Amino acid sequence: MQRFITSSAAETEQLASRLAQTLQAGDIIAFVGGMGMGKTCFTHGLAAGLGIDPGEVSSPTFALVNEYRGGRLPLFHFDMYRVESFDGLYSTGFFDYLDMGGVVAVEWSENIHGALPQEVIRVTFERLGDTQRRIAIEGRVLP
Amino acid sequence: MKLLILDSSSKAASAAVCEDGHLLGESYTNAGKTHSATLLPMAEALLHNCSVPLGELDALAVTVGPGSFTGLRIGMAAIKGMALARDLPCIPLSTLEGLACNLLGFDGLICPVLDARVSQVYTALFRCQNGTLTRLAEDCAISIQELKQLLDTYPDERKILVGDGANLCYNSFNSRPENLSVAPEHLLYQHAGAMASLAWQKARAGENVSADEIVPAYLRLPQAERELKLKMQKGE
Ligand SMILES: Nc1ncnc2c1ncn2[C@@H]1O[C@H](COP(=O)(O)OP(=O)(O)OP(=O)(O)O)[C@@H](O)[C@H]1O
Ligand SMILES: [Mg+2]
Repeated sequence: MQRFITSSAAETEQLASRLAQTLQAGDIIAFVGGMGMGKTCFTHGLAAGLGIDPGEVSSPTFALVNEYRGGRLPLFHFDMYRVESFDGLYSTGFFDYLDMGGVVAVEWSENIHGALPQEVIRVTFERLGDTQRRIAIEGRVLP
Repeated sequence: MKLLILDSSSKAASAAVCEDGHLLGESYTNAGKTHSATLLPMAEALLHNCSVPLGELDALAVTVGPGSFTGLRIGMAAIKGMALARDLPCIPLSTLEGLACNLLGFDGLICPVLDARVSQVYTALFRCQNGTLTRLAEDCAISIQELKQLLDTYPDERKILVGDGANLCYNSFNSRPENLSVAPEHLLYQHAGAMASLAWQKARAGENVSADEIVPAYLRLPQAERELKLKMQKGE
């Protein structure tokens, strides 16, 4: 596990862009951490790092999933905040996206913990202050 | 009676046209393409190559589940569109029964298995004798271990696994049930062509419905339900 401390949203995005360089088709990024921690912000950085216009990224809380294309790999951005059951998860098409040759990023992965494969990249946020976050990355080593 | 059969319930997609029990043509792809882009052109080309215009079809069959959420909806939407335009009856097929039809020459037990993730499978069990299937277990969602227990109740019969969960199960059974094998690659996944006689039988038996009665067959995964959320969260 690697731990990083970021002091602004911009630094979190930069960290995510570094992670993006290591991503391959089929990778799953599972975010852990509560409200307002920076998961959507991190996803902006992932998109930028993959060569996707980060302006396309928005929180998929209502849509459940957003698809961003036009980069090195497609990015499928889920928000599981509202997912309550396995049937609900199945109905988001989540399992179909795992086979679609892109990167899957999952906000509120706590809610679908039991359905995640073993080999996920887990990104855990901890709040140190208004603008400081401790971010732990497991399952992938940043160069 | 001419039928069109479509399947896009998992990663592969296929289409078949038959006249009574006779298979006129089939098309199959398992190249990881998006079904929404490939299924309808595939069906159109097949009908064209078989010289069967849409207007000559008497009914449309489609696998309604279990299977992939998106894939099932693409297949059903395609069938509904054609059925509504031509006012044709529809024949819903169980994906698992359709899979079992791949092995209709086999004498023994056929166990179709689809990977439902999290160590669960969608499965059923059939006995096949002289080309006829007899159902031994309804379509269900169970754990891989429960499937093993089911297979262990038939130790003396030859058993064959078929479907995208076949190798997963075969390799994860800790002690392998006796007399068990896995279908070869070319028979491993759903093939609309193999379902032709099943669809025709159902059509003759009057098991057809209208387009809006075509709905996905849901199978709940009770075990996965309990273990979905991270334990920490439970106390909230
Ligand atoms: N170091 C930091 N890293 C990331 N975001 C930060 C940081 N410091 C402050 N912020 C602010 O925290 C907020 C994070 O919001 P964001 O939408 O990314 O959170 P989230 O984890 O996706 O929340 P939600 O659970 O509601 O989806 C933003 O307003 C951002 O500017
Ligand atoms: Mg968010």
